[in-house]
Amino acid sequence: MLSVTFMNVVWTVINLLILYVVFRLFLFKRVDAILQLRREEIDHATDEAHRKEKEAESLKESYVQKLNDAGKECEDLIAQSKKDGYDEYDRIVTDAKQKAEQIITEAKHNAQIEAQREKDAYVSELTDLVVHAANKIAVSKHDEESDKELYNKFIFEAIEKSE
Amino acid sequence: MDIGGLLKELLLEDKVLIHFDFMNGFFDINKSVVVTWGVIAVLAVVILFLTSNMKVHDIGTRQLIAETIVDGLRGITGGMLGEEGYMYRDFMAVVLVFIGASNLVGLFGLTPATMDLNVTAGLAITSIVLVEAAGIIQKGFGKWLKGFSQPMAIVTPMNILELAIRPLSLCMRLFGNVIGATVIMELLKMVVPVVVPAAFSLYFDIFDGLIQAYVFVFLTSLYIKEAIE
Repeated sequence: MLSVTFMNVVWTVINLLILYVVFRLFLFKRVDAILQLRREEIDHATDEAHRKEKEAESLKESYVQKLNDAGKECEDLIAQSKKDGYDEYDRIVTDAKQKAEQIITEAKHNAQIEAQREKDAYVSELTDLVVHAANKIAVSKHDEESDKELYNKFIFEAIEKSE
Repeated sequence: MDIGGLLKELLLEDKVLIHFDFMNGFFDINKSVVVTWGVIAVLAVVILFLTSNMKVHDIGTRQLIAETIVDGLRGITGGMLGEEGYMYRDFMAVVLVFIGASNLVGLFGLTPATMDLNVTAGLAITSIVLVEAAGIIQKGFGKWLKGFSQPMAIVTPMNILELAIRPLSLCMRLFGNVIGATVIMELLKMVVPVVVPAAFSLYFDIFDGLIQAYVFVFLTSLYIKEAIE
């Protein structure tokens, strides 16, 4: 019979809906859940990669900065040590000059003292000689001849002494 | 050849399988409906088998098949529905599987469920309800109602007639194709009982059954697309 009965049509519709529910619950939802998880994982991994890339870039920048700073610091240090070295050099040279001057001054002074002392010794010897000569004159008899001889002797002795 | 007897056998047999005595057989259940129960049961078991123990990584063959099926079905129906009808693709995929499976039960010696007008009518009614519901959801009730008199007022009766013609054509196309294929196969078996029917069965049972399922879903998708434009 080519009959269409209401209830059989309804049964078919219900069957179709039941099949839809079965597909939805056990096929589409399950697969979707897995796909969603996979997508989330990929998103997460991508985010992580981006984050790390940024981090690496900022680190790189800071290192470059630090390197530049280090170069500068190096130059500063070198300049400072050069300056210190020159200062020290100047100081040492100045000191040396001062000392040398002092030594020269002292030497001059010592030489003067020495000269004075020698002069004194010569004067005292000359005095002794004069006294001695006077004694001799006083002791011996006086005449013109002997006096002349004595004077000559005295002069000669004095010349000999002074040479 | 007793073609008349064959048609009588195919068309006029008593389709009622489960008979209820009360209300003059109002709740009687046809053989085709019982066959679709079987289809649903088998599909449910297959799906449960395929989607059990799903994992995100290192997927097994079963999960791969399940994902391929879902992708494939959604690809077919999603392509027909377009971007706006995106949300109906799952239902259309289920209709595709339902009709395809119902047509293919002929391979197992059962009468295809779609050879019963009640089943095709049920499918067609579901389709037209879905089409109009999609239109109402997309446009709102007022705009949907106005849509009947567009592009001009004179086509209004035709548009209203389409409400009945579309499901009727869907219903009859499916029913006619399936019964036609079955009749031809039966006649072939009468003429040549061996070998030849097997070759033709490939076309009439498998190819035609799947094509009809595709055509049904394609037309419904087309109507939905039109309704939500």
